[in-house]
Amino acid sequence: MSKDTQSMRGLAESLLRYGKSKGATEMEVAIDEGTEFSVRVLNQEVEKLTQAGSKGIALRVIVEGKTATASSSDFTKTTLEKLVDGAVTRARLSGKDPFAGLPDLEGVAVDAAALKIYDPAVGEIPAEKKLALAREVEAVGLREKGVTKSLGAGCGTVVQDRLLVNSKGFAGSYRRTSIFLGSSYQAGEGDNLFQDGWYDSSVSLKDLMGAEALGKKAAGQVTRLVGARKVPTQNVPVILEPPMTAQILGFLARCLSGDAVDQRQTFLAGKLGEAVGNGLVNIVDDGLLPAGRATAPFDDEGVPARRTAVIEKGLLKSYLLDTYYGRKLKLKSTGNAAGPTNFYWAAGDKTPDQILKSVDRGLLLTGTLGQGTVPTTGDISVGAFGLWIEKGEVVHPVAEITISGNLGELLKGVEMVGTDLEFRRALTGPTVKFSQMTVGGKGSAS
Amino acid sequence: MGQIHRRDFIKVAGAGLGAVAVSSFFHDRIWAGVEPPPGSVFEDRFGVTPNDMRKVLAAALSKGGDFAELFFEYRLANAVTMEDDIIKESAEEVGLGVGIRVLNGMQTGFGYTSDLSLPKMKDAALAAAAIANSGGKFEARTLEAVKPGRQVYTMAEPVAQAPLSDKIALVKEAYLAALTADKRITKVSSGLTDELQYITIANSEGLLVSDARPQTRMRVRATAEEKGVRNTGSANAGGRVGMDFYRAEGTGPKDLGKKAVREAVALLSAVNALAGDQPVVLGKDESGVMIHEAVGHPLEADGNWKKTSIMWDKLGQMVASPLVTITDDATIPGYRGSLNVDDEGTPTGTALLIEKGRLVGYLHDRLSARIMKLPANGHGRREGFTNMPIPRMNNTILAKGEAAPEDILQSVKKGFYAQTYQGGQVQGTGKFTFSVNLGFLIEDGKLTRPVKNATLIGTNVQILKEVEMIGNDMAFFLGTCGKGGQWQPVTAGTPTLKIRQMTVGGRA
Repeated sequence: MSKDTQSMRGLAESLLRYGKSKGATEMEVAIDEGTEFSVRVLNQEVEKLTQAGSKGIALRVIVEGKTATASSSDFTKTTLEKLVDGAVTRARLSGKDPFAGLPDLEGVAVDAAALKIYDPAVGEIPAEKKLALAREVEAVGLREKGVTKSLGAGCGTVVQDRLLVNSKGFAGSYRRTSIFLGSSYQAGEGDNLFQDGWYDSSVSLKDLMGAEALGKKAAGQVTRLVGARKVPTQNVPVILEPPMTAQILGFLARCLSGDAVDQRQTFLAGKLGEAVGNGLVNIVDDGLLPAGRATAPFDDEGVPARRTAVIEKGLLKSYLLDTYYGRKLKLKSTGNAAGPTNFYWAAGDKTPDQILKSVDRGLLLTGTLGQGTVPTTGDISVGAFGLWIEKGEVVHPVAEITISGNLGELLKGVEMVGTDLEFRRALTGPTVKFSQMTVGGKGSAS
Repeated sequence: MGQIHRRDFIKVAGAGLGAVAVSSFFHDRIWAGVEPPPGSVFEDRFGVTPNDMRKVLAAALSKGGDFAELFFEYRLANAVTMEDDIIKESAEEVGLGVGIRVLNGMQTGFGYTSDLSLPKMKDAALAAAAIANSGGKFEARTLEAVKPGRQVYTMAEPVAQAPLSDKIALVKEAYLAALTADKRITKVSSGLTDELQYITIANSEGLLVSDARPQTRMRVRATAEEKGVRNTGSANAGGRVGMDFYRAEGTGPKDLGKKAVREAVALLSAVNALAGDQPVVLGKDESGVMIHEAVGHPLEADGNWKKTSIMWDKLGQMVASPLVTITDDATIPGYRGSLNVDDEGTPTGTALLIEKGRLVGYLHDRLSARIMKLPANGHGRREGFTNMPIPRMNNTILAKGEAAPEDILQSVKKGFYAQTYQGGQVQGTGKFTFSVNLGFLIEDGKLTRPVKNATLIGTNVQILKEVEMIGNDMAFFLGTCGKGGQWQPVTAGTPTLKIRQMTVGGRA
């Protein structure tokens, strides 16, 4: 534990004592501190350079089953004590809630060092090196055929400390690092323009995608869309590229969250133990994944991280729960007080090429636009970009179309799952083929 | 908008659920019902004098930058939520800090700190100064305090100062109104957020200006269930207004509760949209989303000086039907997107963007105005002291036309009508979508079956030319707009309008 962390722990524990003296029956204090560096280049010139340190403190106070929270970036003692006073007063005005309260202390803590989420070298990377990486990745992409403009490239690092203590005796802290690099581009002619890009992030510089590969990948994402056109309205199989699988997982995670389940704002409410997909649907939330982008020893209320099989061969095994909704739903916290952790669709046995070849006529989905997803029903309707497939071959890019379907139905119609799972983002999955979605485009189907 | 988790406040407070405040302590220096006194809360409360500010500005310019600016923020925010018949929790947030920006030609250096001691502010200034690497060439001028030239907020009865018990009463009233409005309603949640943001801006040109900005919003969500079908409706209202807003007709807690229920119940019998190109009528209530995405974002000047917006080379050209006139007005009293001065201290006003179909202007911040050699027009906004200002919208408005809304409907034999929205998204390429939560089929000029979750897609320069009829009515959508990782309160207003043909997502 660093000296800074020790002084923060002292502050947090003094606030716990202060809260108790003011009438809090339970209390929790979380402190985040971080240093941030980011540089953005546009056409090889530095556009923006940010260097800063930030901190924040969050309090949860429970008085006889009644909850109030508070937070501040002002760490002066008077402010923090007044916040505690206010929280105790406010808590008394909340409703008495039998499910409110801190998690029970679990005996076995996770060893933060084994998680490999901190690399001391990241904080030492010189600014010039990060600027050079951003310039290099931008330049690589700009040289690719078909790219007309850079939309900017960036590189940055974050070193973050988190400390959490509570009145039930939990005390934990960890430090993590992150470095990111990415760029995006425009391509196309006249008013038929396209934009896309790529980024990568990791705990350590050595694990980051190289600038050459990254620049080419970013440029390729957009150049393949040039000349895209609409297709007629029709129902077809849809293949999701891995980032699109990740988007579906983002929607699925919302549908699995405890508050949505409790509030019946998800189609998955009441479905625990039931088949919600076919045998190709295997979804895992793994808070312990070494060097994972969302790995941490404990969640936002100190519940130890764990690996949870969420959907196994189509059977819904678990929701994503914090302590409150765990109790309310007569279940247990799954360590997801901060939402999904490393949440992924397990790899299947088909190569992406085998999946492509299996489609006689359909869409390879490469990008979406819009937020048309409704957890209560599972309905999906979004703008889409992609590549049109005829007889197992990509024949032309498509744009200005919509895709729609229902997540509940889609999960039951999964036809193939790819081998190409990579753990480079918190939400991740392989290529996935859905048997059918509606593509909206030229003309009406009726 | 994504979900906001309990502890994400540090980065995303202000988004949606927003932000926070309750304890009377923090308001002992809040000036209820009157204009803030001259000087600033940062001097009165935190002891940062204009002389300190000048020293920090000097440090910011010490490496050769040509402009420096300090953005002080002290933000007090509160939230209270009700779920399952109880007040589940209340929250209070204090945000305090300074963001320091240095311009060196077209380049920006930025640093921030939540510690307002002179040494820490100087450290942040030197971090921002690193954008330049020559010796200091520019000096900070003596600061001269000015007052905003207008007052567009309701400062009477600030929600941030109302007793928590009064706010709880409002939240309960909304909750019960929704729960009892229809027997098919099974779950309700309601919430009230408010904030008071004090800012002081000091820059090397000698500007020193302060503002105190209230903001509040009430939300209700209601889930209806019938025969195994389940849907959720929502409603919200708010603005830079006081407690009296929630007592007014149409924006009271009961109104919101019932509105959320109407949407949830209508969705129970909703069918999927018919996919494909078709005539589209956008109802007035929330269709400002379309203008926000199709016109507003592409006309923010950063994408135009960078030449990455589809609009960058179209100034003076016809980009829309001659029926279309669009402005952004930051000065509508009490509106969610309104401001006295922008986050760079530039006075706000009304920007004319499209006049009878012709592109005539962009939304500028100081940097874009400098680069494009045009006047700044008060659209530089930032979520808070940890963010740099960028060009943003405030209240974006498609001007009223002459058509009666019923005539617009009657002109459509078969098509799609959009009533409420989840939101929208646009790229610099002009390709945009908006997602309709509740719509209707139009058959022979009449609204028939309700339609759920349909996304519409197009390219702005094509769709704007397809605007065929514009109604003589008007309403505003209250939104929270995300750009570059920063969230901003905005509104967008439209009359009922008809688009000749647009691609609708649905089932075939």
